[in-house]
Formats: sequence, structure tokens, C-alpha cells
Amino acid sequence: MKHWMFNCKKVTHLVSESLDRKLSLDQRMGMRIHLMMCKFCSRYQEQLLFLRKTARLYSESSEEPDLSTQLSSEVGKRIKESMVHFLKKHK
Amino acid sequence: MNKQQSISNNPVENPEKWVDLYGDYLYRYALYRVYEATVAEDLVQETFLAALRSFKNFQYRSSIKTWLTGILKHKIIDHFRKKAKEQQIDDIEPNINKLDDLFTKNGQWKIKPANWNADPQKLYDQKEFIKILHKCLSELPGRQASAFILREIVGEKTKEICKILDISTTNCWVLLHRARMYLRRCLEIKWFTNEDVRESK
Repeated sequence: MKHWMFNCKKVTHLVSESLDRKLSLDQRMGMRIHLMMCKFCSRYQEQLLFLRKTARLYSESSEEPDLSTQLSSEVGKRIKESMVHFLKKHK
Repeated sequence: MNKQQSISNNPVENPEKWVDLYGDYLYRYALYRVYEATVAEDLVQETFLAALRSFKNFQYRSSIKTWLTGILKHKIIDHFRKKAKEQQIDDIEPNINKLDDLFTKNGQWKIKPANWNADPQKLYDQKEFIKILHKCLSELPGRQASAFILREIVGEKTKEICKILDISTTNCWVLLHRARMYLRRCLEIKWFTNEDVRESK
């Protein structure tokens, strides 16, 4: 199959894979040519990059204190008890 | 532990204090990656116990917080590994029919991607958007969810993910592709267009 004959469905596969591995030269060329000509696949690529950035923000946000996401005092107590138990056993 | 140590406020001498200092943070870290509160709680407990076990090897080369986070990260990956063993291989396929509807037989877009024109940082500050993102993530079938979370949220390399989920590299790419395709479609319907864009040109 010639590059310029990649269809949109195939290109969406390549756009996703390009986020996970280095595509072959043929695949990269085919994808680029298609993206230059196809508004919808370009939007698709932008959307995947958006997802990646959002996921990164999400993973970083666990650093921020959040009063609505806390260990309940009950579970905190349970964990402490298990630690005390462990320390007694391994004195 | 002697009496003097047990009343000390120094978390190194009084490891129970770690729970007060880092418990909430570790819980949040876990919950943002595994989604189920009870799983996150168990992972935090396992992390503290593992920390007690290996504390004599702690070299003070990093902070206690960083050290605990490292242990928790291993526990999270183990959790995904165990989960993958329980998941059936056929759950690789479930939402594929829905996604195939996005394209014509010739592989052209039938439901065309909309122009989101969005700044992730600005959107991320909106609580409603985060809720919808969570909802979309929670709708992903097991292995797709695991692959996406490991890749984009935990930040693992594709090669590692294949090992954790015990699947081939090609399978891994396919899982990630389907997860992304599903998530972008889900966000598009639930947030960006608020309607089915099938009719839009």
C-alpha cells in the first residue's frame, strides 16, 4: 500500500502508536502526508495529545493536598495497629 | 522499640507517626491510580508494613516521603499485574464494535472528530471536567484501563506494560489505541459537544 493511500482508520492506529514507539520511516511519511490533507485525523492527533497532557496533570495533582480525599481515621487506626503488631512480632 | 522511642515525635523512631504524616498523601497517590478506595487503602497499609520491614536498609539518600512513594509505586504495579492475571483475555475486545461505528467500511470517518480547541491546564482546573474524565476512565474495560493508566498516569514504558499485563507488544499497542479512541470519544460526547456529532459536518 502506498503512503498516501493510508485511510483514516489506519492513521488513527499510527497516531496512537507514535505515542508509544518510533514508527518506521514508511509509516511516519504515510501518517504525515495523510495528516497534512485530513482535518479530522489532525484533530484526532490533537485530541490524543490533549489526553496525554491531561493525564500528566492528573498524575501530578495527587501531590496537592485535597481535603475530600483522605484516609479515614478508621483506616488510619487499622494501619497503625497493624504496624504496632508487626513491630511487636519483630522486636 | 523502647519507651523513650515510642513517645518520640521523630517519625523515624516512631513509625506510626508516618501514617499521620504521609498517610493521606499516599492514599491520594494510590487512589488516583487504582480508583477503588478499598484497594488504595490496602496498598497504603502494605506500603507502611513493607517500609517497616526494609527500614534498616533506608539510606537517607532520599526523603522518607520519596522512599515511601517508591514502595507504593511498586505495590501499584503489582496490583495491576495481579489484576491482569484475573482478567480474561477476551476483555481486550468489548467496546470494539462501538468504536468500529466511528468509521465507514472504507476506513473513512463516519463520526468526525470535533474541534475541541481546549487548553488542558484551564480545563483541568474545572471540577466538572475532572468528574467526567473519571467517569470515562471508569468505563474502560479492565485491560484497556490498566494499559492506559500504566502508560499515561503511572508513566511506564510500553515494554514494561507488556510485561506487567503479560501480553505481546502488538497487543499492548492495540489496547492503548482502543483506550485512547474510547476516551477521546467519551470526552467529546460528554463534555465538548454535549450531543452526538453524527449529524455535524
